[in-house]
Amino acid sequence: MSDFLDEIEAAVPALRRYARALTRDIDRADDLVQDCIERAIRKRSLWQPTGPLQAWLFRMLLNIYRNDLRSRKRRGDHMPIEDMPAEPSTHAPQPGHLALAEVSRALDKISDDQREALLLVVVEGASYVDAAEMLGIPTGTLMSRLGRARAALRALTGNTEEPRLRTVK
Amino acid sequence: MSTGQSERTFEVTEDDLHAYADGQLDAARRPAVEAWLAARPERAAEVALWVRQGAALKALFDPIAAEPVPSRLKPHRIAALEKARRWDWMKAAAAACILIAVSGGAGWYLRSATWATEPASERLIDGAITAHSLYVKESRHAVEVAADDKSHLVTWLSNRLGRQIDTPDLSPQGFTLVGGRLLPALADTGTGPAAQFMYQNPTSNRVTVYVTAASTADHKPYEWEKKDGLDVYYWANDQITCTVVGDLPEAQMQTVAKGVYEQLTWRPDPAGRT
Repeated sequence: MSDFLDEIEAAVPALRRYARALTRDIDRADDLVQDCIERAIRKRSLWQPTGPLQAWLFRMLLNIYRNDLRSRKRRGDHMPIEDMPAEPSTHAPQPGHLALAEVSRALDKISDDQREALLLVVVEGASYVDAAEMLGIPTGTLMSRLGRARAALRALTGNTEEPRLRTVK
Repeated sequence: MSTGQSERTFEVTEDDLHAYADGQLDAARRPAVEAWLAARPERAAEVALWVRQGAALKALFDPIAAEPVPSRLKPHRIAALEKARRWDWMKAAAAACILIAVSGGAGWYLRSATWATEPASERLIDGAITAHSLYVKESRHAVEVAADDKSHLVTWLSNRLGRQIDTPDLSPQGFTLVGGRLLPALADTGTGPAAQFMYQNPTSNRVTVYVTAASTADHKPYEWEKKDGLDVYYWANDQITCTVVGDLPEAQMQTVAKGVYEQLTWRPDPAGRT
């Protein structure tokens, strides 16, 4: 039990990051994470110790987030968009870098499905197989959402030209 | 079968390009993708842009993971609170049980003084005991639908009760599902028909879980008693009533009831969350 709680604890910073990136609202994000932890504790008998706990937690967080999103849409709540701190002043956009504020705004405009997928892969560093599993979709669907998310961001940031290939890692 | 690697034409797909940008491409495929991109500056620029998008997203959100975690998100604290809540429940149930058991006749007097008419919970408990006693003795006809047809069992009974009821998994407590049956509604309970699920352990001890839709007549939250030589745990919420009946050592019975309680009573409640 204690190991189980320790493992959840280790996953909390990433869960908060993902929830915040999805909602852009610190209180709402932390509510989702709290809900997720409570459910994990209540449902721990349903967790197969052989599977990765982190993936199970992300899957649960996503379910809670989607339900929350649905009920907010039903109620007609407005999503806070500009809760995000503006671009840190220390990071003046440099050639080859995208303006963070611009990317942040663009992220708000892409579809929920695309945002969920893109953030899991890019920010959480999930493998395609894990991300598809967490989102409950086939890998092929994940890849096409990723492609559409990237194309949409590209169109929204107006950054369609640009220089030669940079080395990737 | 396959010829030398160099002779094979390498098909570069969109997936390869994403995998390249995400650092998820097989090392063996990298040179081919790089060569392919070198010949296609437009696609190369696009992939480079993806990488910069990713860097921007990381710059935006990575710092969140380094923030101190508020205490309300500490799993150990949440588990302790949860446990305390459950203990309160158990203690209250135990107190009620002792009151009835120890004070005997006085307890019964108290009951009739407090509840002018027999509450629905009592009728449901009686119904659960009757059904338990009747069916645990059966070997071939203990259940109507056996556990090997579980999805049918669950769908059927959920439909008849008008509630999504999943059979609790009691394997951690050493019990496997035998199956279940539908039972008629009891008079004056306001619950509609009941589902009975039967579980059995390797020594052939049987426990039944008697579930109905929530009562419109009574909102007693829980009850814990010994009756007719059986241990009975009853509780109700706004969705269901649930009665666990068995004849097991007390500690074991408690573990089983707790297992059922944890799995059956909690329902996802997306809209009502505060």
